Amino acid sequence: MPFQNHYRNITKKWFGLLPFLFFCLSFEFIPILFLLRGSFIDKSTNQFTINHFLDMGRPLYIRSFWNSILLSGLTAIIGVIFGTFIGYAIYRWPSERLRQILITLSDVTTNFAGAPLAFAFIIILGMNGVITQFIMKYFNIGLYPNFSIYSFSGLILAYVYFQLPLMVLTIIPAFSGIKKEWQESANSLGANSFQFWRHIGLPVLFPSLIAGLTLLFANAFGAYATAYTLVESQLSLVTLQIGFMIAGEVRHDPGIGMAMAILSLIIMGLSIGIYQLTTKRASRWLKT
Amino acid sequence: MTDFIKPTKRNKEITKPALWQLVLIALFLFYMLVPIISTYVFSVATRWDRTILPEGLTLEFYQKAFQVSYFSITLRNSLILAISAVLTSLIIIVPTVYWVHTHIPNSKSLLEILMILPFGIPTVVLALALVQAYNGTIISRSPFLLIGAVVIYSMPFMYRPVSNALHAIDANTLTEAGQCLGANSFQILTKIIIPNIIPGILSGSLLVFSTVFAEFTLTTLIVGAGFKTFPLLLVEFTRINGNIAAAFSVISFTIAWLVSILILWIGSKGQGITSEALRAH
Repeated sequence: MPFQNHYRNITKKWFGLLPFLFFCLSFEFIPILFLLRGSFIDKSTNQFTINHFLDMGRPLYIRSFWNSILLSGLTAIIGVIFGTFIGYAIYRWPSERLRQILITLSDVTTNFAGAPLAFAFIIILGMNGVITQFIMKYFNIGLYPNFSIYSFSGLILAYVYFQLPLMVLTIIPAFSGIKKEWQESANSLGANSFQFWRHIGLPVLFPSLIAGLTLLFANAFGAYATAYTLVESQLSLVTLQIGFMIAGEVRHDPGIGMAMAILSLIIMGLSIGIYQLTTKRASRWLKT
Repeated sequence: MTDFIKPTKRNKEITKPALWQLVLIALFLFYMLVPIISTYVFSVATRWDRTILPEGLTLEFYQKAFQVSYFSITLRNSLILAISAVLTSLIIIVPTVYWVHTHIPNSKSLLEILMILPFGIPTVVLALALVQAYNGTIISRSPFLLIGAVVIYSMPFMYRPVSNALHAIDANTLTEAGQCLGANSFQILTKIIIPNIIPGILSGSLLVFSTVFAEFTLTTLIVGAGFKTFPLLLVEFTRINGNIAAAFSVISFTIAWLVSILILWIGSKGQGITSEALRAH
């Protein structure tokens, strides 16, 4: 009898999770399993195949992955370096009020990705953009055709716009792990500021920097709307290629799109996994 | 002597930002604000492609933007989508988070993983998965499928504030108190828990609202022209008429700002409530 009661209690406990699990299964997990299955199925014969993954070796797909990884990697590195310094400048800013304003601004701007952001960059750095003209008029330097907002270099500028504030938000909590007393003791032992950062500050920050790098990488890798508005089909990126396949703008075997999707899920999974691990390590320093 | 001077010197350092800080923050503000301000100015400029400053100011493009035939329909569709997403998200996520917190607390980390997981799925991949899986069914490429998609995509935004709010109140004690007084689970949730975590619920709802309102990828890839929303109209106009596109951008920026300010305001109110509660104890 007590055993039965216990058993009933457990089922009752998990029963509360059913609606949520049902929703996730219907709109997330089962569709992704379909994707996984589809990437290994030959559409005409309905047989198992790994051809879709072998097809990833074609120049177009190699280029798409290379461009996506390069764009995400570069903007993540730029974001981590500048975001860390800006984050530190904000963290050490004397006025609480301005600190709050800057953090709120970062919070809003990191979500400004997409079409409005892309269009704002066309306004300032397009062929007749405000900054393009300013540089032409006062420095007599023509940005075009060496630079174009509709190209890889333009995408870097637009992506850094949402990467930078994301890094600022990620790194600011990490600075509170570096205790003031450490700096004071290091100083009193004769260490200069460079030595302090080299031997104490950076090692403590290191897990947070790696966490930031992977978070930013994943953030850029999955982005679509900004790239779609700016470059459309002039540059091949993984997300753009998958988008074209869904929209039916390129007549390809859907299996190829699914293989691309599975590969990008693996790339995202790896970066999020490293992010989780390093965040856990970083939180060690925050415990007092 | 030196000990006497040192504190004043240090105080000065604390109250005044260093030069490197000023430079970095100025550059950061420049980068973050110039694109936004330019969009605002561009939307009211008569012509701004030959000169550094606009040649004149006008509200003509807003008038034209409001006259675009699809304008009110897309705005209405975006509102319908965002509100449906918020409601679905509330119904699915709030009871689940509460249930796990109070009845199966040892699976909190599992719930956390499930709730944060959508961050790791690129929107195009989610769109492809849903389009393929529901191909040929009744909801294939319909707004209903889209609502499912945006609820999954915005799940972390609802989860975080709700979960934080539940942590802040003592949900277990409140639940036990309710049970002692003979209330059932539904009554405890609606009459005790929800009123206590209202700030978290509101912040989550607003975050979901603004995310879904600005959503482009899932909408264009899952339903496309069949259910045109405001962001789709904006992208379309970036290729047709820049001035009107700028006016649309300003509308979308302004909505994002308003929602952010509202979230901040609720956040500060919420803190006020908790600190008052602590004082009362």
